[in-house]
Amino acid sequence: MPPTNPVVEIHELSKHYGEFIALDKLSLTLSRGSILGFIGPNGAGKTTTIRILVGLSRPTSGSAKIAGADCVRDISRVRRLVGYMPDKFGSYDNMRVREYLDFFGAAFGIPRGVRQKRIGEVLDLTNGTWMQDRYVESLSHGMQQRVGIARTLLHNPEVLILDEPANGLDPEARIEMRSILLRLAAEGRTLIVTSHILPELSRICDQVAIVAGGKLRAMGTLQEVTRELSQRRTMEIQLLNSEGIQDAAGRMRQFLEPEAEIDVSVTESIIRCRTAARDETLSELLVLLVKAGDRVAQFREVAGDLEEAFVSAARVAEAERSSQAPMVGRSRSEVLQ
Amino acid sequence: MSGCLVIIERELLALLRSARTQLIFLAVAIAFAIIVFLKWPTSGIVDLDGRKGRELFQWLTYAMFTAAILIVPVFPATSLVMEVRRRTLELLLNSPLSRTSIFFGKVLAMLGLVVLLLFSTVPAVACNLMMGGLSLTNDVLRMYAFLTLVCAELIVIGLLVGTFCRSSESALRWSYGVTFSLVVVPWVPDALFPGGTSPIAVAMQWLKVISPIPALMQMLNQSSVGGAGIIEQRDFVILYIAFAVLFILTGSLVCIQRLSHSLLDRSRSQGFITDDQSQWIRASRRVLFLVDPQRRSSGIPAFLNPVMVKEFQCRQFGRMHWLLRLVAACAVLSLLLTLASARGTESRGVEYTGALIIVLQVGLIVLLTPGLASAMIAGEMEGGSWNLLRVTPLSATRILSGKLISVIITLALLLCATLPGYAVIMLIKPTLQQQVAQVIICLVLAAVISMLISATVSSFFRTSAVATTVSYAILILLFGGTMLIWMNREAPFGYEFVQNALRLNPMAAALNAMQTEGFKSYDLIPSAWMISAGISGVLLIILYVRLYRLTRPD
Repeated sequence: MPPTNPVVEIHELSKHYGEFIALDKLSLTLSRGSILGFIGPNGAGKTTTIRILVGLSRPTSGSAKIAGADCVRDISRVRRLVGYMPDKFGSYDNMRVREYLDFFGAAFGIPRGVRQKRIGEVLDLTNGTWMQDRYVESLSHGMQQRVGIARTLLHNPEVLILDEPANGLDPEARIEMRSILLRLAAEGRTLIVTSHILPELSRICDQVAIVAGGKLRAMGTLQEVTRELSQRRTMEIQLLNSEGIQDAAGRMRQFLEPEAEIDVSVTESIIRCRTAARDETLSELLVLLVKAGDRVAQFREVAGDLEEAFVSAARVAEAERSSQAPMVGRSRSEVLQ
Repeated sequence: MSGCLVIIERELLALLRSARTQLIFLAVAIAFAIIVFLKWPTSGIVDLDGRKGRELFQWLTYAMFTAAILIVPVFPATSLVMEVRRRTLELLLNSPLSRTSIFFGKVLAMLGLVVLLLFSTVPAVACNLMMGGLSLTNDVLRMYAFLTLVCAELIVIGLLVGTFCRSSESALRWSYGVTFSLVVVPWVPDALFPGGTSPIAVAMQWLKVISPIPALMQMLNQSSVGGAGIIEQRDFVILYIAFAVLFILTGSLVCIQRLSHSLLDRSRSQGFITDDQSQWIRASRRVLFLVDPQRRSSGIPAFLNPVMVKEFQCRQFGRMHWLLRLVAACAVLSLLLTLASARGTESRGVEYTGALIIVLQVGLIVLLTPGLASAMIAGEMEGGSWNLLRVTPLSATRILSGKLISVIITLALLLCATLPGYAVIMLIKPTLQQQVAQVIICLVLAAVISMLISATVSSFFRTSAVATTVSYAILILLFGGTMLIWMNREAPFGYEFVQNALRLNPMAAALNAMQTEGFKSYDLIPSAWMISAGISGVLLIILYVRLYRLTRPD
């Protein structure tokens, strides 16, 4: 179901570089105030989508809108609506953090008085006030990422697009980055975040979109996406006590497909299984266990693993690519050249 | 020794594999073939005294020397900086290789490249030998040995500069600057005050020893630059060799000393700011500094182009306190030139002094402009900030005007510094007023065309080092290449051809306006102005279109 009050609308967006298809009819919508984790393997089309959204690239076909502004025809409005942080910081030599932010503030036409106040606010929001007099090129990667976010916030954009904000950060900086992003979402901003650190994304995103081979493979909440893409699900069956737990496990092995992995934790009285069985089969399994006298206390599905969904999507894309003979063996960069 | 060989193999192979090196070899071979072709005797009469052969040899030697000065600094200057940036120096320093092996490996690899470069001139020199009048050992091999020594000095300069710089573009700029200071600057004071006996004049005469040019001229049996017929008693060749060897040894030692982990572990500024200091420090800094560089900036005012302010802030010497220092240095330079003009006109005549000032000014313009303008777009692309500019509401016009104005202001300061020199010339010979006005127009055009060439080149490259090198090459071709044609004005080029070539060069137009010997007979003004203005206009259009396209979605 499409979200109400969508702020980002992408409709059948395609981008071709010669014969190479970087994006293939990608469509998605995103509601205001949500955090979208935009993930996919390298060369999946994430950066291409982002570049189109911020007006750096023109789509071959399809449309993209941000808060109603068309990303091709209304670029100047889009630039004011979007705050973009690329994966490369874009440092200037001999500039202090405050001067760096002042320059970008002036570039967005913010009056000097308002600009100075705004710089203070964004530095405060990103916990960067203490480094305002440091030279940008002398900052560590984590500090630069914070300055990067501060820069994207200067003109108070509705949508923030952050390309790999947690890349190269140490665990402490990553926790801080997470809290900054959550704070921004709480302010009502819409965030599109790409990252390869999937556990990190799964902690902050309320929506996940997986792109592979230029196509959107899945989109929804974390659970929806993992269920859609994962070939196997993890079930936990907790018994009242460990008595007869091995027999129950044996019954499960006989009932489920041979590939199903079943682990028994006697101390926890839990049987964990990873299976490709569908809901109907699992329902029958529960009936079987109850009929056999196993005292089932809980029969639940464990939240899916984003990494598994990611790998699954990547495999599907790889299989598709392999079936396209002309493109086999040609990397994207080769095609672009 | 084996460590040294490992580095030589790696460096030399990497250099020889690059397309840039292949292109340089090809360009050098073609240029030398053209020189031989132009100077090859057309008549069937045998030249028994070997005058033609010696004349060609002089040409080939100067061409090789110019090629060495232009090409050699590029490789060592960028070598260490690139190693630091790519973090391969860490790997080298953490390997069992000693610092000495790394340094000498690099030097020898680059010398190997120089030898190969000199080899590419062998066919031309062989043709020259066939013309007669030359000795293989006393002329040819001696000249090759001398040029190899000059190149070794340039390599050490480049590597040494590389240990101080953080970007390849700044390393290139500084290498060319130091090379220019060592090669050209030392003979300028003596050319302005020739034949003096005062201690300062004698010191200036000795200063020439550090430049290879007087030694090279002595080897070719020519009188020194600006010698005005004064016979030099000193053996410049021996003196230069002694200086070069000493320089190479000292430079190598310093470079080896600096080639350590400290290159990778540069301290980060803690961001000292006056506003946060105690009242006493703030008060004292207010007294001591005309413009305190450590004061927190109050922000870019609305009436200024933010791109222009950013350009000044990013430039190493672009801050207000540095600009004031530049103004002060220009004022001192201006006073010196005024003095030189006054003294020079007594001994050499107004036109000679004026010509010397023109050549100096154009030399400075050619040296400084690529450093200011060739990274304006390529540098942004290299650093990843171009996309950030693209996602701001700044238009291509505003970006371009901001960037160009920042260069224009700096160049204008530089040009203004030399105006008092012309004022003295006009005072001595008031009839030159109109010529001086024409010279100033020519110099402004020289600055504008240099800036637009560098800026346009910058918009076609993604790395500032390549853009800087290409800009230097084009500017030297424009200002030096046309002078090369002028030097061949008697043969093979005819009057019309030389005049048309000189019309491309605003410096030649300035020399023509100053009625300098050798330029008087040409009719260059106003056609040279129109051509320069036309080229500048075309370049501006190309630059704008390019920038517009670069700011649009891909």
